Amino acid sequence: MKQRIHVSVVLSVVVLLITACAAPPAAAPTAAPQGSGTTVLRVGTGDSGEGLTPHQQIIQNFEDQNKDLLVQLEPVAGRDYYARLLTQLAAKAAPDVMQIGDDAVPSFVKKGAFVSLDDCLKQGGVDLSIYLPGLLQPGQVNGKQYLLPKDYSTLAVYYNKKLFDAAGVPYPKEGWTWNDLLDVAQRLTKDTNNDGQPDQWGIQLPATWTTGFEYWVAAAGGRLISQDGKSFVGYMDSPETIRAVQFYADLYNKYKVAPPPADLAQFGGGNSEFDNGQAAMRLFGRWPQSGIKKNPNIDLGVVAPPQDKVRANVLFWGGFGVATTAKATEAACKFLSYYTGEQAAKVWKDWALPAVKSVAESSGLTKDPIEGVWIGELNHLVPRAYTFTPYWNETADPALRKALETVLLDPKADVAAALRQAAQDAQRALDEQLAKTK
Amino acid sequence: MTAIIAMPRLSPSRRREELTFYLFISPWLIGLVLFTLGPMLISLLVSFTEWDLLSDPAWIGTENYRRMLADPLFWQALKVTATYTAVYVPCELIGGLALALLVRPKLRGIRVFRTIFYLPSVLAGVAFVVVWIWLLNPRGGLVNLLLAQVGITGPRWLLDPNWTLVSLLLMSFWGWGRAMVIYLAGLQSIPGEFYEASAIDGAGGWRQLRHITLPLLTPTIFFNLILSIISTFQTFTSAFIATDGGPLDSTLFFVLYIYRKAFQFRDMGYAAALAWVLFGVVLLLTVLVFRTQRSWVYYGGERSE
Amino acid sequence: MSGETYDSPILIPRGRRRVARYGILILATGLFLLPLCWMVSSSLKPEYQMFASPPVWWPSPPRWANYTEALTQLPFGQYAVNTSIIALASIVGNLLSCTLVAYGFARFRARGRNAWFIILLATLMLPYPVTMVPLFIIFAKIGWVNTFWPLVVPTFFGNAFYIFLLRQFFLQIPQELDDAATLDGANTLQIFLQIALPLSKPALATVAIFAFQASWNDFLAPLIFLQDQSKYTLMLGLSFYRGSLQINWAYLLSTSLVIVLPIVLLYFVAQRLFTEGISLSGLKL
Repeated sequence: MKQRIHVSVVLSVVVLLITACAAPPAAAPTAAPQGSGTTVLRVGTGDSGEGLTPHQQIIQNFEDQNKDLLVQLEPVAGRDYYARLLTQLAAKAAPDVMQIGDDAVPSFVKKGAFVSLDDCLKQGGVDLSIYLPGLLQPGQVNGKQYLLPKDYSTLAVYYNKKLFDAAGVPYPKEGWTWNDLLDVAQRLTKDTNNDGQPDQWGIQLPATWTTGFEYWVAAAGGRLISQDGKSFVGYMDSPETIRAVQFYADLYNKYKVAPPPADLAQFGGGNSEFDNGQAAMRLFGRWPQSGIKKNPNIDLGVVAPPQDKVRANVLFWGGFGVATTAKATEAACKFLSYYTGEQAAKVWKDWALPAVKSVAESSGLTKDPIEGVWIGELNHLVPRAYTFTPYWNETADPALRKALETVLLDPKADVAAALRQAAQDAQRALDEQLAKTK
Repeated sequence: MTAIIAMPRLSPSRRREELTFYLFISPWLIGLVLFTLGPMLISLLVSFTEWDLLSDPAWIGTENYRRMLADPLFWQALKVTATYTAVYVPCELIGGLALALLVRPKLRGIRVFRTIFYLPSVLAGVAFVVVWIWLLNPRGGLVNLLLAQVGITGPRWLLDPNWTLVSLLLMSFWGWGRAMVIYLAGLQSIPGEFYEASAIDGAGGWRQLRHITLPLLTPTIFFNLILSIISTFQTFTSAFIATDGGPLDSTLFFVLYIYRKAFQFRDMGYAAALAWVLFGVVLLLTVLVFRTQRSWVYYGGERSE
Repeated sequence: MSGETYDSPILIPRGRRRVARYGILILATGLFLLPLCWMVSSSLKPEYQMFASPPVWWPSPPRWANYTEALTQLPFGQYAVNTSIIALASIVGNLLSCTLVAYGFARFRARGRNAWFIILLATLMLPYPVTMVPLFIIFAKIGWVNTFWPLVVPTFFGNAFYIFLLRQFFLQIPQELDDAATLDGANTLQIFLQIALPLSKPALATVAIFAFQASWNDFLAPLIFLQDQSKYTLMLGLSFYRGSLQINWAYLLSTSLVIVLPIVLLYFVAQRLFTEGISLSGLKL
């Protein structure tokens, strides 16, 4: 009896299984069905969740205009994006149009992952001048264009007008200095219940975020690496850099105007004081802005970051390019130009800053008191450190991160010593890398 | 019960037995060749190359292994992982057993209790860790708030390099449900007659535990021990999400280091070399534990090792 | 087969011991439930209240929309179907193959058996991030990328974890039972099917649950092998709420809670199926 039940159960499940499995492989082929005339374009992106909506909208519009092309969006969220992308590249099975971040461009291009867009642009009649200043450089290597801008952000300071009004402090204005920042932050840091801990903070800073930190170094007039990209010693531990790190650490530990980091694994420190209406300002990129605008605790204003010796800002950028393994290069090209071009920008602008100048202007973004700030900062960019060496990621970044962790978590830490250590660690790693490639 | 005299086996039937063995394990053998051996051997070869996944691998011999010995992060990763494993494994072994013994009797509503213990262990890793990141928040998290009620100022948990491993160990209790389920299955295989017989002989709860339950549970304990060692050495998700290896590399778990080298620094050759060193360490430990099997594991079916 | 439940009355506490048992149970579950309760309450908070300090214990009003929005913003229905197919296939594949292989390791002597067993365990010792690249290359060459095959087919060829588990159980079944059956004329396969399997019900159920859960919660393999959104699994969908730039806590928590339900339900129900233990005397062939 039991044996019969046993066997029949197994059999039925197996049958179910076979029929179930029959479905997926038939659903969507990776290669275009022969002779059907439809080409499938695979597009890889690191956007997630809600951020996929503009992609899908643009893809829909494109497919309506190009009935013989089908676009398959392959999104991967977060830090796992490169795990999948690199695995696919290793198997030569990457998407046709790929998105990567600015710091990955030099190495990907040098290793031949992307095609040069010269032909593509001529054929598609794309005019590179449609883009806002500074947005093409990250996609260029040796003067040739390989990737076109998808989205970008600069740095700015969010501020909560409610807290400023309550304290009677005037809003910060463009051109303000680090000393102004300290002054304003101190006036807005309050310990309302006298328990020795501030309940309201002046400014929420992004903890150990290394790429954002380049702004501080640049504004102090320093640089993290030599012009020839071979030395960190003398730059990462230069007086200007020390001044920048010292000021930053003091905001946390000495003046206590910045809340301590909450989650070091999270990009930006994981703090929530600004969102809770408990911090008057926040220095960061544009990414959380849509959430902040919806937040009832905050009456939002945005201002350019303060300057020290120099007025500086850094650009964070993501772009799309055509993979060398793409088979339908023309179609991929066509899609790329559309995706990053003017028509698509009209959709992008509701989700992120558009890269196309005309769209930015016509939609009033350049004049907008908030959006205009982000766009305006494009005029004050300094080159990112990764542009000086392709080995930034594995040499300087961990060293700088460690130095920031040391000084932020330990109020007694010696900033100069930590930076000297970082410079040496980075130098050692870089020398090792350079020796390998000889 | 019919008493069977074990007949001495003859050579042809031993050969037949051997054939039957290979027949039964053939599905695994085939799969081994098709899906497992290939990637493993390829990764071993890769460990002797330099490969950034974008271009072709380049042979560099034992260079990766030599670099490893001089790499302070390698030793750090080894230290972090070994320390964590050394504490985690006994805790899970005992904790899982305690839970299983707790929920073993078929009392009313026991299924609910079992499910509550099981649920956190099957939550998506992301969710599991995210919950604890907040609970361990130094200023607003529940743990420090509760400690403050008792007058203790809690440490900065995941933000203090001295406390990060402790934090990860602390939250790990929430995942004991998996070990519990396996123990429960093991407990349920112990024939009830043994307990009844011992009760007639006057044995109480603790004696039953020591003389019936534990000895008969040793195969399950052995299983949990080996699997726990193997999987804890490969801890990844909690480190990746809670601390990203920091601060100051205090939670640089080995597989996290491998992942980072492979996909963030694009040094797949080195990552593969690291993986094989890990493999060696875990294999060594496993074989050592296996050797001890004879002295403490009791299989009712005998004729095993 | 085993007519009587093993839960001999001896094991069920009575009187004061019962009260004590419930007491400890409640304490322990309290410890386990506390983080869970925070998770549930937070999943109902609007984003800006998520990390309010002092903490908000119960949001008022609770934002049920977190759930509906999180689950509809992405095609989680499709993801659920995909994941179910893979998970169910995994149960079948594993039960079919792992029982056979485990029985082989448990019951039959052979030269090199120990070596093979160590090799079996060794396959668990190489971290996935390193083997997944060559594995992907292999599957790409045979055109299985962007299908469910790489996730399903290997389960029909055994899995070291479950093989080991089942082997431990098979080893505990007294050899005498096999011998008795042989005397009655049963062949190897019949012994396997009619003695070993039924006596291992707890282990089989455990393997089924674990296989289901491992498939359901698998992230890296679907990440690598599935490219087209319509094939994504629940974990891939969930990962979208933990982007590199923004974490959508509310959606992350609410979706995780919904995703865990089927596993928990399965466990709750399955307990009824395998709470029968074994009783030696009740054996009939």
